[in-house]
Amino acid sequence: MMTILFRVVLIFVSFCTSFFILRKIRQAKMQIEDSIFWIIFAGAVLLISIFPKIADYCASVLGIYSTVNFIFLFMIFVLLIRNFYVTIKLSQLDGEIKELTQEIAVAQTMNKTSEQSVVGKEEIEGEEQ
Amino acid sequence: MRSKILIIIPAYNEEANIKRVVDNLIKNYPQYDYVIVNDGSKDRTADICRENHYNLIDLQINLGLAGAFQAGLKYAYHMGYDCAIQYDADGQHRAEYIESLYEEMQKGYDIIIGSRFVTRKRPRSLRMLGNFLISIAMIITTRKSIQDPTSGMRMLNKKMIEEFALNMNYGPEPDTISYLIKSDVKVKEVQVEMDERVAGESYFNFGRSLAYMVRMAISILVIQGFRKRTTSYIQDSEV
Repeated sequence: MMTILFRVVLIFVSFCTSFFILRKIRQAKMQIEDSIFWIIFAGAVLLISIFPKIADYCASVLGIYSTVNFIFLFMIFVLLIRNFYVTIKLSQLDGEIKELTQEIAVAQTMNKTSEQSVVGKEEIEGEEQ
Repeated sequence: MRSKILIIIPAYNEEANIKRVVDNLIKNYPQYDYVIVNDGSKDRTADICRENHYNLIDLQINLGLAGAFQAGLKYAYHMGYDCAIQYDADGQHRAEYIESLYEEMQKGYDIIIGSRFVTRKRPRSLRMLGNFLISIAMIITTRKSIQDPTSGMRMLNKKMIEEFALNMNYGPEPDTISYLIKSDVKVKEVQVEMDERVAGESYFNFGRSLAYMVRMAISILVIQGFRKRTTSYIQDSEV
């Protein structure tokens, strides 16, 4: 069982999520790949609030006494898994930034060294003349 | 004189194919310029390119197809090419069709897609079902029919090179095409034939294909409708 108010709150949450994500895309401040999860999440929340029977059924199958508790559990699991993937992604990005920063710095130093040796040679040749 | 057309070849772990594909271009199609974008391959792709003195953009990190292709387009943009074509490193695309794509583009189109199913029928297979569903999604949102939306052979004109090179969310995928058709960019398909991949493994297994389909469906049906086209070049031309 879900109260009407709770269902309205869920619909509100779903629309807010969609609104913020789609606004970011509109402003070209977010990549579409990263928005897909939030669109699906908002869709699932909307589905559950429009058809609460789905949540009732899942709750009774899992032996959870109240439907609302099932929804809490469901959201916690989804966000936990999401957090897990975000942590992995963040760690990979961190590694990639380190690698790129080092590569660029080493390349710049090597360029400078080779330029200096060329300039140095020219100066010596000039003095000899 | 330098060519007006740049062939962009994104390559990820294509050591088995890259030499055959690029040698064919150099030998039989010297009228076109090309650039290989090595997308942080873990195999010898970059080594092979350096040994043979190919024109190479060597990305240190794997960016994925969209990032690699965009790197190629940035090169095209800065070098001032009139036209760029996406060309598979696995030998599926045939260079003989570049000419007919370019001729069609001269008629005033912005994007030409090398399509397998303009005059031919789409075969019935699980893989082509995905192609069909994306095509349906595009008809629903754009009211224009694209027979082969997943074709990887796309030619962009100078205006599109700039737009794709400098903006976010311009991956070389059907959802970008759908979005651009909706904002009145002129897209046309030209019949081409494609070969089967000779060596190496395709990126698309069943799980990835399914994830790709879900992403494309949501992107085309939901997300693209909310995008606003504010690109640097449009702002420039309006001013």
